[in-house]
Amino acid sequence: MAFPFYWMLATSLKSPQEALQAKPIWVPERMRPQNWVKAARLGDSPLWGGLGPGRSVELAFPGEEEKPPRAFVPRTPGAFFDPVADGTRVEVAYREGAWRIRLTNATEGAFRVLPLVVLWPKEVPLSPPLPPDALRSQGEAWRLEWVNAVPGALGYVFHNYLEAWRAAPWGRYFFNSFFTALTQVAVGLFLAALAAFALARVPFPGKEGVFVLILATMMVPGEVLLIPNYVLLARLGWLDTYYALIVPWLASVFGIFLLRQFYLSLPQDLFDAARIDGAGYLTQLFRIALPLSLPGLVSYGIFTFLGAYNALLWPLIVTQSPEMRTVQLGLQAFVSEAGSDYGALMAASTFVILPVILGYFVAQRQFIQGIARSGLK
Amino acid sequence: MRGYPLHLLLSFGVLWALAVLAERLGFAPAFLVPLGALAYGGLALYGLRFGLRHALLLLGLLAPWFPWASVLVPLAFALLFGRRMGEKEQAAFYGWALVWPALALLLVWQVFPTFYAFYLSLFEKVNFLRPAAFAGLENYQILLRDPLFWRALGNTFWYVLFTVPTGLLLATAIAILLNTGVAFQGFYRTLYFLPYITALTAAAAVWRWIYHPEFGFLNWLLGTPGLDWLNTPTGVFALLLRPLGLEPQGFWAGPSLAFVAVMAMSVWHFLGYQVVILLAGLQAIPKEYYEAAALDGANFFQQHRLITWPLLSPTTFFLFTLGVIGAFQVFTQVYVLTPTGGVLQDTLTLAFYLYNKGFRDSDFSYASAIAMVTFLIILVLTLVQRRVLEQRVNYEV
Repeated sequence: MAFPFYWMLATSLKSPQEALQAKPIWVPERMRPQNWVKAARLGDSPLWGGLGPGRSVELAFPGEEEKPPRAFVPRTPGAFFDPVADGTRVEVAYREGAWRIRLTNATEGAFRVLPLVVLWPKEVPLSPPLPPDALRSQGEAWRLEWVNAVPGALGYVFHNYLEAWRAAPWGRYFFNSFFTALTQVAVGLFLAALAAFALARVPFPGKEGVFVLILATMMVPGEVLLIPNYVLLARLGWLDTYYALIVPWLASVFGIFLLRQFYLSLPQDLFDAARIDGAGYLTQLFRIALPLSLPGLVSYGIFTFLGAYNALLWPLIVTQSPEMRTVQLGLQAFVSEAGSDYGALMAASTFVILPVILGYFVAQRQFIQGIARSGLK
Repeated sequence: MRGYPLHLLLSFGVLWALAVLAERLGFAPAFLVPLGALAYGGLALYGLRFGLRHALLLLGLLAPWFPWASVLVPLAFALLFGRRMGEKEQAAFYGWALVWPALALLLVWQVFPTFYAFYLSLFEKVNFLRPAAFAGLENYQILLRDPLFWRALGNTFWYVLFTVPTGLLLATAIAILLNTGVAFQGFYRTLYFLPYITALTAAAAVWRWIYHPEFGFLNWLLGTPGLDWLNTPTGVFALLLRPLGLEPQGFWAGPSLAFVAVMAMSVWHFLGYQVVILLAGLQAIPKEYYEAAALDGANFFQQHRLITWPLLSPTTFFLFTLGVIGAFQVFTQVYVLTPTGGVLQDTLTLAFYLYNKGFRDSDFSYASAIAMVTFLIILVLTLVQRRVLEQRVNYEV
């Protein structure tokens, strides 16, 4: 059961060349402390963030003067697109029996990634020695990808996470997901509590009819609603807005049923006593029924939150612009676009599932009971 | 206040506001709105007969120009004069007032769309050059001759047939084992439960990586010298798959097995939910039954066959029904694992086909026809389950 999670974490810490090996690597190079030390020694800052303004790092390549290493600053989008890093100054000089490449941060801000790739002959030893996964074989020459090594030990270990985080507007995605899910939980809970209380405790004419209607609604699978609701949203002009993500799912038959069961299980004497004390229906609902049905509210909240946070199909249909996309859509786009960068892919998957998993560990008992309660009729 | 049907006013008001909304959006004919206004105004005037001191109700007549009045006026009235209402009337008004917000949303977003989907399915594909032409049941006739639809239907049936029983059997076994008092029960429960709360998108991304034809873990595992007997032409998988007409060569890489991969992933994903619910059901069974059975000399299997099985049947039935309905709507796993529907549409399911038709080919009417057929199948299956299986379910504990 846990293997996919382990594999997700392990792959998220692998370098691209490690990830693309048929033989599984159980512990990635990035997880070995001796490599952290090497990575930290290479960078100016031991923990995070590459080089500050005006700081520089020097690489030495021992060898003869006739054969200079080829150093170049890549402009590929994956390796380097941080505008504050544009001021990297590269100086190449031969001194004291070695080619020395000095990289200087010439800008105000610190660059987090040193955009440098160096090619040099395989037979020449490196000084200082680099962790193995910073090296990639390329014909007769080694290729050093400095990007892998410099941003300090933390940046070195979590390189895939940084890459994945920078590849898409995840902050916006997370905000959208959380905003949608929490609004759905709060408003849906309120509406479901009102309706459930009326159905359980208020003897109003037409109650049976409403109940039968809700029962019948339960029979309709979600697929049937996709197209008509899309058309409805389009005519309302709500496509690609938060309304489209939230409003259609506010009234939940499941929530009404769950809370109704709870209210039915409360003793009638409680309400009779309140009634004698002069409490109206609203007071009965908010002062007695709601506080006592907290477990039901929690299960409803958990289900709604999980459903909204993990939903793919509905946001896929009703949103188009990146500003309105949710986390799952961001991940889905990442899965199909990232190509062979499985490390970054797994890193993105990890931080997408992280909030729910953390929430689970914090509120484990409520979670389990909440889910288990949905099965008790 | 005697005899004044405030809740009727409220109900008509909400219905009338919905009619206005529907008319403005082009879903309803124009005559519906004055009709609603007439009914609403008549009701308001009828109410006034019982006492002119309720002049506030006159504001309800503003509704034709200000639709919200039809909701706000009765609410304001109840807030102002609620204390003077009789018990029955209070119940009637508050009942409707409490139920309306959710009910109106249900009517707009679930009840109406169900009918609208059927209505849509009766038209030809919308063409922007001409108005939509009524086609009757033509879409359904095309559907019945559509090989892709039958493929999707067949795939979905296989999916239901495989994942639901497998998941339930595994979950029951695990729940029983966990319930016998294994050490670290909480840890195991967490282990089984984590996949369920994991987003399917993320889970599918990992499984895609595990199933990767060249660098995937599973292929490496099946190629390992100690384990390759599973995957050789005379191996276990070959024995299992030959009768199904599948060739096991190139295990996960081949097109014919992509759907099996999707199914395996789904079972993994939903197992935790079933385990947790079955565990709750098991813990509700009194321990004394087992003790008594053990005294009478029943062994482990007899105990579970004679006590657990009947007493757990409501939970199992609940999970089975939900599982079938859920499995019929499988989309996310398929979409993330095989975004193009697999080689030769091998992993096409009903929901996926609906999505393709509706939102890739933008043929809403045809997609609605698919939705209606799915609805019908699920409805029939649910009713059959209720009729056939529920008789065997033991609700008494």
